[in-house]
Amino acid sequence: MNETFLRRNLQPIVIWALLLTVPFWLPLFGGYTALAGRVLVFALAAMSFNMLLGFTGIMSFGHAAYFGLGAYGCGLFLKFVYASTPLAMLAGTLLGGIAGTLFGLLLVRRRGVYFAMVTIAFGQVCFYIAYKWDDLTGGYDGLRGFARAPIDLGLTKIDIQNNGTALYFFILLVFGVAAAAQGFVLRSPFGRTMLAIRENERRARFLGIPIEKHIWLSFSISCFFTALAGSLYALLNNFADPQGLTYVMSGNIVMITIMGGMRVFWGPLIGAVLFVALQDYVSSAWPTTWMGVVGVVFVSVVLFFPRGLMGMLQKRAGT
Amino acid sequence: MSQIIGIGHTGRRKVLQATAAIGGLQLASPFIIKARGETPVKIGMVDPITGSLSALAVSEVEGAKWTVEQMNKKGGILGRPVELLIEDSANDTGTGVQKTHKLIERDNVDAIIGDVNSGIAYAMMGVTAEKKVFHVVPGGHTDPITGVDCKWNTFRTCNTTAMDTAAITGELVKRFGKKWFFITPDYAYGQTLQNNFVKKLKALGGEFQGDMLPIATSDFSATLIKAKAYKPDVLLNNMGGSAQINCMKQFVQFGMGKEMQLGGALFEIESVRSVPKEAQAGWWVMEWYWNQPNVPEVKKFVDAISPAIGGKMPTARHWMAYVSLHAVRLAAEAAKSLDAVKMAHALGDLELPPEVSLMPGKIRYRAGDHQLMSDIYIGQMHNAGPGGPDDLYKIEATVTGEEAAGPVESTGCKMSFPA
Repeated sequence: MNETFLRRNLQPIVIWALLLTVPFWLPLFGGYTALAGRVLVFALAAMSFNMLLGFTGIMSFGHAAYFGLGAYGCGLFLKFVYASTPLAMLAGTLLGGIAGTLFGLLLVRRRGVYFAMVTIAFGQVCFYIAYKWDDLTGGYDGLRGFARAPIDLGLTKIDIQNNGTALYFFILLVFGVAAAAQGFVLRSPFGRTMLAIRENERRARFLGIPIEKHIWLSFSISCFFTALAGSLYALLNNFADPQGLTYVMSGNIVMITIMGGMRVFWGPLIGAVLFVALQDYVSSAWPTTWMGVVGVVFVSVVLFFPRGLMGMLQKRAGT
Repeated sequence: MSQIIGIGHTGRRKVLQATAAIGGLQLASPFIIKARGETPVKIGMVDPITGSLSALAVSEVEGAKWTVEQMNKKGGILGRPVELLIEDSANDTGTGVQKTHKLIERDNVDAIIGDVNSGIAYAMMGVTAEKKVFHVVPGGHTDPITGVDCKWNTFRTCNTTAMDTAAITGELVKRFGKKWFFITPDYAYGQTLQNNFVKKLKALGGEFQGDMLPIATSDFSATLIKAKAYKPDVLLNNMGGSAQINCMKQFVQFGMGKEMQLGGALFEIESVRSVPKEAQAGWWVMEWYWNQPNVPEVKKFVDAISPAIGGKMPTARHWMAYVSLHAVRLAAEAAKSLDAVKMAHALGDLELPPEVSLMPGKIRYRAGDHQLMSDIYIGQMHNAGPGGPDDLYKIEATVTGEEAAGPVESTGCKMSFPA
């Protein structure tokens, strides 16, 4: 019984063991805690995106919009409304999530490349609003002048502003809760329906599943989680900038997901580790040519591991 | 392996976990820097080595590398060798902020230098102030860096846009006229630059039109048609880097050189080299120039650095990096410490020796706002002259930094040090 439990859950156990001990082992490898925070933020964004791409079979190329809106919502709340980290995160999540839900209404009847094109367009709309609305968003230079507020637990305060390790564990906590919620959604009947749509939309329709409604719901849920990741990103950097809303960022989210392995729950996490570490170390080693190296790695992953690193490993180990 | 973990089945997940973990660790392995006899003084530099400002950033990086090499030959900083860590901000504010975090948190640098892009420099200040790290901005011009948002730990080497515009506006009005057209990048630098120009132009009774465009714009046809229709006396091309070059090329292709004059704040040698001959013209500000016959130290500097940068003449960007790094050294030596607060106190109003300042006047970082009070040159751009391919500019007048910057109170800076 115990052995079966271990075998079944080895993957999450190892992942969580590694994540929980990051502050102890990462410095040994020349990393720093803020880097691990970045990995988690991008992993969460990509996992949320993967609910669409990997589990509903819909390609969005504008997820940066909701990511960036989450960041702006969080930053603007901290700057102009009230210095409370949880409330700011809620504000960011709601801003991005609601925007996604509304855009989703207009999107659900599009498929394939049209769906992707319209999502890009919405993303760019959000980018230009942030870029042009100088007084509110700081324009191209980004939103400055806000800072993470300590988390007040009544009895004690957690200083996530100055203590990097505390911030990491805070992000990890949010990541854990969000990942659990995503897992729950995917295991629910609704999650199964998403898979059915992915596998054969026409057949699912004949079975009486309201496809549009499900895609809309799935898009909306995905956007809420992406916006949550965005609000964490704002907290991590104490900064939000319009580049976080562009199709380049959307492309990064897609790249992370595909490199890690779409259709695999933890795939985007591995993708984020690879992507962030690659970006960080390669750009230090070759500051002029690092983008080329990242590109070559991405192309090789797509060519040689079309299921992504995680997908490929699972397949090989499984057969 | 399976025996060690104690599970009979050769689980695919085990294989997968092990591979992923090992793979991850491989990537996470750092480029370990071997300890040298003496712990080096680490200086981190963040600059947009890729992106539309790359030519300027590459000059700064060249200048910085050479300066550190020379510094190490002469005993480094406080007798310790200097190590320069260079990071690319990719002309993206988020990346710049991230790289600054990385240099401070992972590499524990003693000082930060950067960025060419005003917006990035401005955002980096948030990080360096939070982490209390000594920061020199070599080449980001937007005013608030040493103005309303000045910080005790941040010094700036290049001029403010207020200084550059104050130095050149009168000259442009006198020579060309009061009807101006602006082509300006829409970010921190361009916005403050154009505002300052407009303020000064209006004071002289001038009128203007203009377009604000994204920093990396490559097609200027719509804006140039607008400019053509407005028939200004002078066109101020405020774009930077490759955007400015593209704009100049299209300006020439449109045959507008005969219809209006060129001029403005910055048209840096890196860009002048790359534009058609017809666009190598007009009156511009130069923040430093290699041909200053009345300053003997300049020739020595030029002769020394030129072979190291491919035989070209050093530009203002090389100079900015050179002065910024020496500012770190001078601050540390005057404070006899690498403590940021002590260094910042020591550098304020410290007169730079002529072999560092490479300018005719007495140059210092003003204590009130940490802005370098450098001499500002006004002159004409021309086609390559007898002095070689980089003989592109003639200094016609020099304005002192104090004169152009005005008193500290006018900048809006209120300097406050941590208790």
